[in-house]
Amino acid sequence: MPEFKLAPEPFLGGYSGNFGANRLEEATDLSIVSIACPQGGRKALESAVSKAWSLRLPAPGRTESAGTDGPVLMFTAPDQYFALLPAGGDPPLRHVQTALGDAAYCTDQSDNWVALRMSGPLASAALERICPVDIDPSAFPAGSATRTVLEHIGGIVFCEEEGRFLLLAPSSFAGSFLHAAETSIKYVS
Amino acid sequence: MSESHRIADGLVDRTAVLGFSFNGRGMAGHPGDTLASALLANGRRMVGRSFKYHRPRGVFSAGSEEPNALVQLGSGARTEPNTRATTVELFDGLEATSQHHKLSLDFDPMAANNLLSPFLAAGFYYKTFMWPRRFWEKLYEPLIRASAGLGRLSMQPDPDAYDKGFRHCDILVIGAGPAGLSAALTAGRAGARVVLADEDFLPGGRLNSERFEIDGAPGSEWATKAAAELDSLPNVKVMRRSTVYGAFDHGVFGVLERAADHLPDPSGKPRQILWRLYAKRSILCAGAIERPIAFGNNDRPGVMLAGAARSYLNRFGVAAGMKAAVFTNNDDGWRTAADLSRKDVEVTAVIDTRDGTAPVNISGASIVMGGRVIGTAGRKALRSITLAGGQVVPADCLAVSGGWNPNVHLACHLRGRPVWNPEIAAFVPPEELPPGMAAAGAAGGSLGLSVALKQGAAAGKAAAADCGFKAPKQKAPRADDESGAISAFWHVSHSKGNAWVDFQNDVTFKDIGVSFREGFRAVEHLKRYTTLGMGTDQGKTANVPALAIMAEMTGRSIKETGTTVYRPPYTPVPISAFAGRARGKDFRPVRLTPSHVWAERRGAVFVESGAWLRAQWFPKDGEDHWRQSVDREVVETRGSVGVCDVSTLGKIDIQGRDANELLNRVYANGFSTLQVGKVRYGLMLREDGIAYDDGTTARLGESHYVMTTTTANAGLVFAQLEFARQCLWPGLDVHLISTTDGWAQFAVAGPNSRNLLIRILDPEHDISNEAFPFMACGEFTACGGHPVRLFRISFSGELAYEIAVPSKCGRSMMAALLKAGEAYGAIPYGLEALGVMRIEKGHPAGNELNGQTTALNLGLDRFVSRKKDCIGGVLSRREALQDKDAMTLAGFRPVDREQSFNAGAHFFADGAERTPDNDEGWMSSVAYSPMLGHTIGLGFIRRGHERRGETVTAADPLRKKETEVEIVSPHFFDPDGERLRA
Repeated sequence: MPEFKLAPEPFLGGYSGNFGANRLEEATDLSIVSIACPQGGRKALESAVSKAWSLRLPAPGRTESAGTDGPVLMFTAPDQYFALLPAGGDPPLRHVQTALGDAAYCTDQSDNWVALRMSGPLASAALERICPVDIDPSAFPAGSATRTVLEHIGGIVFCEEEGRFLLLAPSSFAGSFLHAAETSIKYVS
Repeated sequence: MSESHRIADGLVDRTAVLGFSFNGRGMAGHPGDTLASALLANGRRMVGRSFKYHRPRGVFSAGSEEPNALVQLGSGARTEPNTRATTVELFDGLEATSQHHKLSLDFDPMAANNLLSPFLAAGFYYKTFMWPRRFWEKLYEPLIRASAGLGRLSMQPDPDAYDKGFRHCDILVIGAGPAGLSAALTAGRAGARVVLADEDFLPGGRLNSERFEIDGAPGSEWATKAAAELDSLPNVKVMRRSTVYGAFDHGVFGVLERAADHLPDPSGKPRQILWRLYAKRSILCAGAIERPIAFGNNDRPGVMLAGAARSYLNRFGVAAGMKAAVFTNNDDGWRTAADLSRKDVEVTAVIDTRDGTAPVNISGASIVMGGRVIGTAGRKALRSITLAGGQVVPADCLAVSGGWNPNVHLACHLRGRPVWNPEIAAFVPPEELPPGMAAAGAAGGSLGLSVALKQGAAAGKAAAADCGFKAPKQKAPRADDESGAISAFWHVSHSKGNAWVDFQNDVTFKDIGVSFREGFRAVEHLKRYTTLGMGTDQGKTANVPALAIMAEMTGRSIKETGTTVYRPPYTPVPISAFAGRARGKDFRPVRLTPSHVWAERRGAVFVESGAWLRAQWFPKDGEDHWRQSVDREVVETRGSVGVCDVSTLGKIDIQGRDANELLNRVYANGFSTLQVGKVRYGLMLREDGIAYDDGTTARLGESHYVMTTTTANAGLVFAQLEFARQCLWPGLDVHLISTTDGWAQFAVAGPNSRNLLIRILDPEHDISNEAFPFMACGEFTACGGHPVRLFRISFSGELAYEIAVPSKCGRSMMAALLKAGEAYGAIPYGLEALGVMRIEKGHPAGNELNGQTTALNLGLDRFVSRKKDCIGGVLSRREALQDKDAMTLAGFRPVDREQSFNAGAHFFADGAERTPDNDEGWMSSVAYSPMLGHTIGLGFIRRGHERRGETVTAADPLRKKETEVEIVSPHFFDPDGERLRA
């Protein structure tokens, strides 16, 4: 037994709150690994991703999902993707590195981001207050994801399904980020 | 006061009564009333005084163009000045007070200004208060400000919430009158995403104020049905109480939604929301504003716009007077006479400036064609009017119509100039509208109802088609086009008394004459010389009559005279709405370090460092001065071991076959020889050769590096590296991603740092000096298998390490380090002790890397490799940057060790005059060194490295302090670096 202990703690202590039929909660069930495509290695990466998870590389603004147990791949920049993995399995970086081998440069991003899940009939209205991106289903259907600025914080908005959004922000902003999201949902509900 | 002027009909809800007060007097109104309509219903005609002359003023319009009826709304912290009574939706308990007066509204000693009006014409202030000059600030300006009107601020924090938002649509329809409703219905039914915004709380525009019929039913009913249908469409959003106040580039519009202004208490919800609205297409259906005619004493309470009199009559069921006269230059004014007459208001006269026959028969009224009103009478409100022939007509209300001005403002916000249309004697939108915008109905210059409905539908259809939607075939609503025939007429010559043009800023016909005579004849000059159009109403009723009068005086056409520039906002936007929720501690988001909560519990004092909050020091019991805490932290760290959270430093994960090559190009010093498992200090230059940022880069694998940057430059360096890799050298295989937030990183410094870390790391790792020497790095595990990164680097000059752990473990790592260090008396230390130790060690930081210094200045010239190229390398070798007499970094200590000095002091030779020519340099960083027992400083002085032992004076005129200082090596403590290699 080690004499001193390290214990990972969720950035927002596993926050959750209900606002009428709407819900805001810290998503603690995710690990994130960034995947960068080596120059000239796009085909190899496509093939590795297909072999590992039967997925295509997502187009700009989109994600590709391998179902409940597999990763969600999210386009984040040219030649860069995030793999959102269900927490609890292998260490995420090792898992992705093993799956993709030399076809990608991988970096663990799990602790870089705090994740909030906002859902319910007023989720879009709440997001309208802090998100400059058009999140109407006609413009941002389920599976869409984009980088944007949320109340002065550079983040990512991902529409998991209509009326349910996963919001990512740098983890050092966790408190302010929660305040922004919570204020918005309080204001509209 | 009873509702003496409330008459039958109207769209207010008579079944409910709302109590409100004006100047403390209780009155009653109904849901659907504005404050203005309720005041008029209660027979209150004088509601304020004018800005300059303190003349009695009454309600003049029924909309946002109101120049007169400005009131102070609410009380206590919620009070709001300069609120237009014509746009305030009545609610129960509303409190309003009049403004622009001393003592009381009825008795205002400042009304004496009116008697002085012959001397107070335009330009009076500019000419009178010029001399003596020094009197301006202390005497004249306070005097003028005290005598001028406008309401008062509460001087308390606003208790209400405000917010901002972003809204997107295919089509923005601006204005919910007949054209706007028609456009929104057509586009909405086609399936386009439509936002319909209107400043009013009741959609319908003029349909609510007129007796027009659509499809055989009252126009207001059609508007209600149309709004209900639009509300039911999921693709349409009807924004009531929402003013589109500005058109900006790229289809962006500013919209102010007064979400809860109509509620007595917003209950914590935002009172107002400032929207940034993105629209692919926009349709301007903002209607038109009626303009007055200038004649003698035309500002008396009871004189109002003819269309406004109709609004009060038809929409609010209020007679603005019981004995009304009409003065018009167009057919529309006659509609007011007809409507008043129908509601049994006695119409005493209709005076039309045009010759010919009366277009309508008004029974009982004296009809004067080709007539003029030259004056009015009544002390605090209108009693009678005088016509050009000397005839005096009794009237307590004079409805005036000088024609209608299309609301072209938003069409002109991108610098478009409106076009004069003589047919309607008004300006219409420019030919080149903002991209994606169309105008329909009155806003486009088509003043009839039928044409407004048609144009709205056509514009809605076209905009929908542009966005890929096909409008279904629909039957056009049936309506007539009323006659608006007009003959331009701006002012009555030979008026008795002053004729007002700008009511809000008290600018008269005579003032325009003065401006003309003084040579201020261009409209922009006229505006600034007379202050015409510079009130909170921005001259909505004044500008066109004024420029027409100026055109007459100069003999130029109105087209040649032109208009002033239209700029946002269309109506005032409160500063609180611009601030939104960004106030107090939520002004900007804050970044917290992983050990923040731990430090908070430990009683740390925090300091802002950009967006970060960092622990500055950790006071212990008995320490009541920050220096006590900081000195102790330095002494105990150097004596044993201290721990500091340095997670704020930028961290960039760099991977790729060419990662090493990129580093070699962006750092001034060489990186090609950096081995795996080693860290190197790196200096970056800007393109111009000036020092940019410094930090360390660790090589974790063959093609895997982690760079650290300064806290301040983390984002900038990342962006710079992305630019380098994407734009300068796209051929390099290298990828970057920030991991600043992903890793909690702690400096563990002091002679016992290794002993402490041995207790934390899992036993299989050897970090002895031999196995893990200075500038080594590695990926280890700690506390039973948790991955950590360890770097043997030192900012303090001590034997020191930085240990990094995934952020979620940051708090427990801080606790574990302190617990493991208990045996050695380990302490946490803050940013201040960190700063003291780096100054003792002579390490440059932000004060030295200030964007003006070069590697040579910093004493780091040997870091700029001549064996390779790098960003800034060539320009750093410019002659001027290689000056042998250049400023170089040096250490400074007081000759008398008891003395102290401050950063910011400048160096002068003893006895030299303190002039810029004799300035030899400056002190950049200063600290009290508890290790040395006196103040020390780093600074830049010419040839500093050659002048050690010399004394100069550190002059600090701001603090009136001069200290004799000795130039020494910047490395005050452990100059040979024995401690950090121990």
